[in-house]
Amino acid sequence: MTAVDWVIVVLRVVLPALILPAFVIPLVWIERRVAAFIQDRPGPNRVGPFGLLQSPADILKLFMKEDTVPASADKLLFLLAPALAVFAALSTFAVIPYGPTIEVAGHSIPMIGADISIGLLYVFAITGLSVYSIVLAGWSSNDKFALMGGIRSSAQIISYELAMTTAAAGVVLAAGSFRLTDIIGMQQGAYHLLPFLPRWNVVPQCFGFLVFFISAFAETNRLPFDLPEAEAELVAGYHTEYSAMRFGSYFLAEYINVIVASAMTTTLYFGGWSLPGYHPHGILGGAVSLCVFAAKTAFFVLVFIWVRWTLPRFRYDQLMKLGWKALLPLALVNLLWVAGLEMYRLHR
Amino acid sequence: MERLIFDAAALLAILFAGLMIALRDPVKSVLALVVSFFALAVCYVLVLAPFIAALQIIVYAGAILVLFLFVLMLLNVGPEKPDQDRRPIQTVLGSLAVVVFAGMLLGMLRASGSRLPALPEAVGVDALPDPAAIARLLFSDYLLHFEAVSVLLLTALVGAFVLARGEDAK
Repeated sequence: MTAVDWVIVVLRVVLPALILPAFVIPLVWIERRVAAFIQDRPGPNRVGPFGLLQSPADILKLFMKEDTVPASADKLLFLLAPALAVFAALSTFAVIPYGPTIEVAGHSIPMIGADISIGLLYVFAITGLSVYSIVLAGWSSNDKFALMGGIRSSAQIISYELAMTTAAAGVVLAAGSFRLTDIIGMQQGAYHLLPFLPRWNVVPQCFGFLVFFISAFAETNRLPFDLPEAEAELVAGYHTEYSAMRFGSYFLAEYINVIVASAMTTTLYFGGWSLPGYHPHGILGGAVSLCVFAAKTAFFVLVFIWVRWTLPRFRYDQLMKLGWKALLPLALVNLLWVAGLEMYRLHR
Repeated sequence: MERLIFDAAALLAILFAGLMIALRDPVKSVLALVVSFFALAVCYVLVLAPFIAALQIIVYAGAILVLFLFVLMLLNVGPEKPDQDRRPIQTVLGSLAVVVFAGMLLGMLRASGSRLPALPEAVGVDALPDPAAIARLLFSDYLLHFEAVSVLLLTALVGAFVLARGEDAK
């Protein structure tokens, strides 16, 4: 590998990991402004134009605050847990394609961190590990509210992971591959009979998409499934004892997870960076594809925010009932339906 | 480079497996096991078995150990007291087991010679074997075994449910 190749590799791997947290700063502002809009109040509008500097000011505050560790806490695990949360959130993005493979000056540059054969499984593996950051925070704090939050979270994430993976299995079945670039590749073009309809997975697998997206809310601990932190009953749940930037790390991880979950929904069900009828070429094509990917992802991020300020929190038994008795059976039916479609396609 | 990472990961796996036994706090033992499994998954990736590596993390680290942790936290199991119910015979038998195991390990190392199996030459991430090949084997040649294991697991699940329900819940 030449020096240029190394630079390209570093750029396509490191850049997304650096840009992703930067997106969180405007995202927090957007969330607060949208919340204010939905609740018919102005929202943060004092710091800078339109209140745009509110988030940077908050981050500065978080960095300056005293970082307290409870006397009875398990110090090592208490300090490790928030780092784990950010690590898990950031490393998921490594396998999500954010553009096509473009040719620039004789170099072929795939716009993805690592195009591995087990892409989708990798995402689920890392999401599975992220539960430890919450469980550890809850346990090491030595606080009953934090512990309750941690226990709730482990039960919730395991339950919804099942429905989520079963729904995603439908996509894998249709694509015949775990590789996320293959999954995007199969969603190119439009249907023969209905040329206005793009070949996105959401069309044949709308129930799979529904289950996946609802489960994503539970996996990211967002309302209406934010029971691990339910402030009305658990103070702040698993991060009750955290302060300063360690609390900020959980905040950061939550928003990165929202972006990653939206990016995954885009990739699996909405054709990722592709646009029906558009074939990207060169740097311009790469840039357009990147914008398409960003726009689709931004749409789902907005849905996340919209839902948060629309639906009230579920009760714990309702959460479990929904996960096991509604979403999982629906995901299984979706899997059978996709298997039937594939059989028909093979024997036609 | 791969060789170096493999050795480091293998060492980490063994180290944390040892810690898992040595630590007195059951929660920390589980966490040591998580690190050990993760290091093992890194080893799997480096011997070109990424599918096994993903399963190792999803099934063991991501699901089974979280359940362990869940139960430990629900029951609020405290740290084990040192020398709790310890009998001299345990020390003797334990040492014997260590000697026998070390002997076996040395014998195996001698039989395989001083060379360790060579790792594949530096391959691009794209060249890793396809999970589809594993699926094809699993659902054609080994279909019967696969279904037998499925039935066995289902039976175990039903059995666990019946046992957990108890006598009076009829």
